[in-house]
Amino acid sequence: MSYLITLVVYGAVDVIACLGLSLQFGIGGVTNFGYIIFQAAGAYVAAILALPPESANGGFQRYIGGFDLPFPLPWVGAAVAGGVLALPFTFLVGRRLRGDFAAVGLLVTAVLLNLLVMNFVPLFNGDAGLASVPAPLQSAVMPVTSSSYQWEFAVGVVVLAAAVFWFIRHITESPYGRALRAMRDNDKVADSLGTNLLSLRTGMLVVGGAIAGLSGGVLVTFISVWSPPAWTYAETIVLFAAVIIGGRGNHVGAVVGAVLVPVGFEESTRLITNANPSLPPNLLPSLQWVAIGLLIAAFLWFRPAGILPERRRLIALPAPSTQPRAHAQQAPAEPDRAGVPDRAVVKVQPAPPSAPTSPPPADTATAPPDIVLEATDVSREFGGVHAVSGVSLSVTRGTLTGLIGPNGAGKSTLLALLAGTDRVSAGTIRYQGQDVTNVAAFRRARLGLVRTFQLASEFKRLTVLENLLSAAPGNRGAGFFGAAAGRRYWRDDEAAAIAKAADILRRFGLEGLANSNAGDLSGGQRRLVEIMRALMTEPRMLLLDEPMAGVHPELARRIGDLLVGLCRDGMTILMVEHELAIMDEFCDPVIVMADGSVLAQGTMAQLRDRTEVVEAYLVG
Amino acid sequence: MSIFMASVGFGLITSAVLAIAAVGFTLQFAVTDVLNLAFAAVMTAGAFVAYWINQLGVSIWLALVVAMIACSVLSVALNLGVYAPFQRRGTSPITIVIVSLGMALIIEFGVEAIVGGINVSYTMSQGGTLEAGGLILTTVQLTIIAISLVVMAGAHALLRYTKLGKAMRATAANRSLARNCGIRTGRVITFTWALTGALCGVAGTVFAIDVGSFGPTSTDLFVVLILAAVFLGGPGHAYGAMLGAAAIGLATEVSAAYIQPDYKYVIAFVALLATLAVRPSGLLGART
Repeated sequence: MSYLITLVVYGAVDVIACLGLSLQFGIGGVTNFGYIIFQAAGAYVAAILALPPESANGGFQRYIGGFDLPFPLPWVGAAVAGGVLALPFTFLVGRRLRGDFAAVGLLVTAVLLNLLVMNFVPLFNGDAGLASVPAPLQSAVMPVTSSSYQWEFAVGVVVLAAAVFWFIRHITESPYGRALRAMRDNDKVADSLGTNLLSLRTGMLVVGGAIAGLSGGVLVTFISVWSPPAWTYAETIVLFAAVIIGGRGNHVGAVVGAVLVPVGFEESTRLITNANPSLPPNLLPSLQWVAIGLLIAAFLWFRPAGILPERRRLIALPAPSTQPRAHAQQAPAEPDRAGVPDRAVVKVQPAPPSAPTSPPPADTATAPPDIVLEATDVSREFGGVHAVSGVSLSVTRGTLTGLIGPNGAGKSTLLALLAGTDRVSAGTIRYQGQDVTNVAAFRRARLGLVRTFQLASEFKRLTVLENLLSAAPGNRGAGFFGAAAGRRYWRDDEAAAIAKAADILRRFGLEGLANSNAGDLSGGQRRLVEIMRALMTEPRMLLLDEPMAGVHPELARRIGDLLVGLCRDGMTILMVEHELAIMDEFCDPVIVMADGSVLAQGTMAQLRDRTEVVEAYLVG
Repeated sequence: MSIFMASVGFGLITSAVLAIAAVGFTLQFAVTDVLNLAFAAVMTAGAFVAYWINQLGVSIWLALVVAMIACSVLSVALNLGVYAPFQRRGTSPITIVIVSLGMALIIEFGVEAIVGGINVSYTMSQGGTLEAGGLILTTVQLTIIAISLVVMAGAHALLRYTKLGKAMRATAANRSLARNCGIRTGRVITFTWALTGALCGVAGTVFAIDVGSFGPTSTDLFVVLILAAVFLGGPGHAYGAMLGAAAIGLATEVSAAYIQPDYKYVIAFVALLATLAVRPSGLLGART
């Protein structure tokens, strides 16, 4: 009987730990190979909070403090400790460091901390660890050893696991969860759309760490010992195996994985050992690790989505009563659209942007009023290669400016520099009169300067509609606390974003695909998703990298017409394109680049008369 | 011999062992694009292959050659059987790192399942000792340093002067461009696995010789040193790995003479995290 209780408690502890990892890794895409550190730290803190001062039990073991605190404070302390411990690691998960390098850093940290704790006796009592950790709520009436106490503990832990499940699902099924999943699928693109990666990843480290800490705290007060040899780095891999096998991005899958992997392995080892007592003592634990390695590789190969794959989040589109609003986008006669304030203001301007009668709204005086984006002597060097050297250009409000040039001319690099997804080696970039040279990409996006990518950049495991919604600015549920506050807090913002996304989808004729996974679309459809998603950010200026590449010519024409319409409404667009016919038809002016420099600028007709331009294009 | 000089001596040997492993690891990563965390497990397998050959009465130096071949074959097999298929499918680098951790578990604990949880030593003579400039080293230790120097010189010559080495560098810089220039990148990659696997076998055996007594999990901490050396020098840079190995090897052993030896890994750990935080491209890597 008591064996069954132990199994239930261990299972629930594993479920809690796996749920934390499911959120951190499965939803947030943060690969924390040091996850076990947080569990161990939570366990230690719970132990010292529950233990009386050292001297009280004869000083046979050494530890920090000894606070003799009543339940549930040790558990709360464990969660807090796990969360706080995450903070020093946030430097590993910013934008600069590759995810796999950060994972290596955390793995090494787990190996090292285990070594230190085992050897540094004064602080953590060495590899002996701590014993006699008091169980919660013990009393003379109901001693810890009684089976009724044990059962109540087991039930309590199961309820706690259910509460953790409810909490992380609550967080996941919110605009915040969607932002996390977008970051997981493509962090660079999420960054370019205005997502603060550092803040999202810090949140994941802290919340995941707190849940891991809680699971450790529960465990230590149940088994009453804290044993460093049990918290090796390899234990993290067991939890990863559980989440991968159960299904990344599916919390029910994580629960299934927790029951199958850590619990199932312990059980099967015990059963085999009982049946064959003559086996060498080390053989089964070794084979158990081998089996975990095999399972990870086999699942990632044969069933990468796990037993229970991440499900598609279906969102019903509102009825097309919003159709008139969609029309307003194209017919610049109705100034009273509430949802898109910036463009509604800009839209009433006359089309020729240089017209003196149209003072632009609230720009600083440093730039000529109609220049939206201005680059001065911008250069970018890659290990001695000048991809972009000394480029100066300016883009006028309301124009659809083309950027052409042979392969390797530096067009995409220049676009990346302007958007901030790459950093300049020299030069300055001004946007709406403000120096943005050192402004991060996500902040430029929030200022309305948004780029698209040359290669497919959809968030694969999000639906088309979710791809659009992930870019909507100003959703109150897009932060951790907003998400925690609940659906009632953010549902109005969400409804507005859905209505806007529905408008855009209908304008592009893709409303039928709203609930398809973006990863399942054709190449051309994905390009459209990207443009629609960029429009969701309410941009003032778009930087498009070959938006029509691989798109059917008829559709390319439609996209072109649409872009011209947007510019007529006051948007400014800089577009890289190879197809001269498209340049001819839609772009004015056109900038020609070759070998990292601007060769010429003018209308296509003017450019055709300039021999060096024609040569550069033909020779390149 | 002063404590300082003795620790420098230990540092030189640790650096020598570390350099072989770090150059192997970093070349593997640069050319094949796999951050192979099973590297140290393959080292362990090599050390035990050498042990089994050694147990048959064969000299450890001959056994080292067998271990080299065994690890070379094992690494090529790992790539052809596991990593390459995942890469062809377009699996993300981080997922391949997870796969490599799975491989590390399979190899390391597979070895443990065979040999049990015991530590073993090679049967070998330590030879005489030599003294020069306040350093006292055994013949075996000098041999390890000599092997390491030969490996470094060989790596330099390969990368610098041979067509194959240039093809490796080209593949590392841009695989698809290299392929379009007529380089058979598939062969270059397989060769790289064979070569770095051989280095891994050498490193595993000299590591085992150096520590004297070793077991299936002995390289768990050595991984920290390898990663520190690789990242300090700049991941993917062979010369950076040599530099990193020299720095980390000397720093850990010299510091061990003055603080508790158990903590000597801390300095490598701090170096690794500081590099990741301040300059992720390493000392020799391009600033981004």
